Amino acid sequence: MELKYKKSSITGEEMYYGEHSSGLDVYIIPKKDYSKTYAIFGTKYGSVDSKFVVPGESELTEVPDGIAHYLEHKMFDQPDGSNVFDKFAKYGGNANAFTSFNITAYLFSATENVEENLETLMDYVQSPYFTAESVQKEQGIIGQEIRMYDDNGNWKVFFNFLNCLYKNNPVKKEIAGTVESISHITSEYLYKCYNTFYNLSNMSIVVIGDVDAMKISKVIENGVKKNEPFSEEIKKVYPDEPKAIAKNYSEKSLSVSMPLFMMGFKDVDTGFDGDRLLKKNIEVNILLKMLFGKSSKLYKDLYEKGLINNSFGIEYTMQPYYAYSSIEGESSDPRAVYDAVINEIERVKKEGLSQEDFERIKKVIWGEYIRMQNDVENYAVTFIQYLFMGIDYFNYYDIYNSVTFDDIKKRFEEHFIKERSALSVINPV
Amino acid sequence: MDCLKINSNINLYHIPMTKLKTTTIGVYMHRKLSEDEVSKNALLPYVMKRGCKLCPDSESVAQYLENLYGAHLVAYPLKMGDDNIIYFGGETISDKYSANGEKLVSSMTKLIMSVIFEPAVFKADILEQEKKNAKDRILAEMNDKALYAMQRCGEEMCKGDSFALSILGTAEGIDSIDDKSLEAHYENIITSSVIDIYVCGECDINGVADEIKRFTSSVSFKEASLPQSQMFVKQGDVKNVTDRMEVAQGKLSMGFKTGVKADDSDYPALMVMSSIYGGGAHSKLFNNVREKLSLCYYASSSLVKNKGIMFVNAGIEFDNFKKAHDEIIAQLENIKNGAVSELEFLSSIKSIENDLESYKDNQRMLQIFYLGQRVSGTDYNIDTLKEKISKITIDDVVRVAKKTELDTVYFLAGKEEA
Repeated sequence: MELKYKKSSITGEEMYYGEHSSGLDVYIIPKKDYSKTYAIFGTKYGSVDSKFVVPGESELTEVPDGIAHYLEHKMFDQPDGSNVFDKFAKYGGNANAFTSFNITAYLFSATENVEENLETLMDYVQSPYFTAESVQKEQGIIGQEIRMYDDNGNWKVFFNFLNCLYKNNPVKKEIAGTVESISHITSEYLYKCYNTFYNLSNMSIVVIGDVDAMKISKVIENGVKKNEPFSEEIKKVYPDEPKAIAKNYSEKSLSVSMPLFMMGFKDVDTGFDGDRLLKKNIEVNILLKMLFGKSSKLYKDLYEKGLINNSFGIEYTMQPYYAYSSIEGESSDPRAVYDAVINEIERVKKEGLSQEDFERIKKVIWGEYIRMQNDVENYAVTFIQYLFMGIDYFNYYDIYNSVTFDDIKKRFEEHFIKERSALSVINPV
Repeated sequence: MDCLKINSNINLYHIPMTKLKTTTIGVYMHRKLSEDEVSKNALLPYVMKRGCKLCPDSESVAQYLENLYGAHLVAYPLKMGDDNIIYFGGETISDKYSANGEKLVSSMTKLIMSVIFEPAVFKADILEQEKKNAKDRILAEMNDKALYAMQRCGEEMCKGDSFALSILGTAEGIDSIDDKSLEAHYENIITSSVIDIYVCGECDINGVADEIKRFTSSVSFKEASLPQSQMFVKQGDVKNVTDRMEVAQGKLSMGFKTGVKADDSDYPALMVMSSIYGGGAHSKLFNNVREKLSLCYYASSSLVKNKGIMFVNAGIEFDNFKKAHDEIIAQLENIKNGAVSELEFLSSIKSIENDLESYKDNQRMLQIFYLGQRVSGTDYNIDTLKEKISKITIDDVVRVAKKTELDTVYFLAGKEEA
């Protein structure tokens, strides 16, 4: 495998990367003097991917909700009956995995025996072994994971919010599925999903730490078990999503101490990835901080009125095919917070955005980018998320620099539309 | 790590770590955990963060931080054993990553020092807002059910011991504070506390020391000492406590007396014991309560190092209470009886070594590690503690396990059917 090299003169970050003949994309980021190395082996496959056409087949495959996450759990069982964690433990590796809406990833961090840990990672993710009995055993464990989230107010307020914004998009469904949906999962379904989405041409591996790129690349190359890349794309089938929101309000109750809320705006400027998506992400993030951040007039008003507290937060979530901004927190009167946000947008529409605020907040975004490179775990997870959205992390500076005040003004007009806003509330029981 | 003594009460520690792109500053003011002070210590940092001579209000604090490329400033209370620490933390990207050669570390130091030594007058409206927020935080403890169950377990277990106090104080305690009493408390703690300041990352440490001296030279400090933690003492039979709440999953929390504090030579052996028992995917609790019996998604153990306490936590179906409880006890008995496999033992040693070594890449964790040594009266560094861990034997583990005794069983259960 031939490795290419890149270095950012501004941050000093460097990277070796290449594509293996199996289709696996490899990224190695050396971090001099670091104790910890972090490796993440991920597939472009998450909870939203329940309908797809396998390359070479013509029929649509439909699988139960929650299967990507279920599959992630079952990958830890090995054909020889051994437990993957035991293998990592022998080499001092700390192994884990996660499933999000769009990614399933297997990872470890280690401060020694990096190559042995990496071999173990490569090996087990390419060794599926599911039986009726082992699949059955996981129902109880995942059932308790789902129950745990049932009691989590922040989780519930978030999903109810997504259910306000989206009519059809599967992002509105819980990642782990439901106790009912996972009861339909069989080993046949698991193999079908595995053989489709875990083809190496749908996967990438990122290694960050004080490593020798050539040695790491050799380990990865030797670890490839199946060199049969798909010649065509996996066709993922998503339902059409209208621009309009499903509903503008949701209210549920749970045993929480005071009402929790999440509100935000459905972004309908979607359908693209890469640099354009990154630029949009930077623009909306700047706007959110200008309008609702800690130095904003709105934050001050709401805080001083006792309508929000330190739990207040703002975020923008991007994917090529869906995106939204969100504002969350605890409040004795979520409706009043919602109204204040909408009124503030109206006020700014009339009075205009401040260029001084823009220049200052733009610096914050740069600080966040630099800070992200500190922790190998955050770095690797962000890197692979960007990668799967077609974004070159090393190109960040150029895109960041290209964002102008005019872009921000335009984005403000497009994104913050009252008709596309919704409020989700969890009240105390 | 270098230590520069600023004056009789204030120590400045420098942990150089240039591989990271940030510099962090942590100011830790040590107070003895007590009912008298805990509510004031819970409220004070939040009021102080609202404004100072350098930045008179929240808005200007926020703008100041934004101009430092989004530097972070936090202020809240911590609890380490019987030490009630008031913490002020700052983090900024290092000077060399600023676009125009700004002196970010120096600016960050100035802000933290101004917040601590030149607070704005505690105005009535601000005080009322922060009192309400402080009381909301107390009520919000129930929101994270797993954490809440463990807190409740500790509270029941340590009745009569100051460790039972919540770090957030009490609603009555917060209510009774007014501007006069808070000001008096501020004057008292500023002058009569041991204050440890850790700076981690790239910086000119002598410049930071000069900055600190500039803010503290006019303060007349009184004698101060580090609070000492008392070992938890078990009294009487096992306590069983059940609370009911409208929840979907039951939360089991079990409190054990370990009889071994951080300054005990057996403490590293206890760390290994807890790791074997419930320290991750290699542990007995994970492999038996979760993997073998499918009773839970999580089951783990953790140590309160300065009190000689261990907690075990698990989220389970209500009906599985007895099954889970019995299995948790059985697994501890296994360790006491020496039923520890070579793999469980080695995995635990490796896991602790890996965690410790990882701290070297994390400025905040390194600060906490060294602060922990101060509070415990021990003088390990990462490498000497790793060395100690590597020499522990299964016999050591069995010996410390035998000192462990169940004290309190707490269960957060669902509401009973009417």
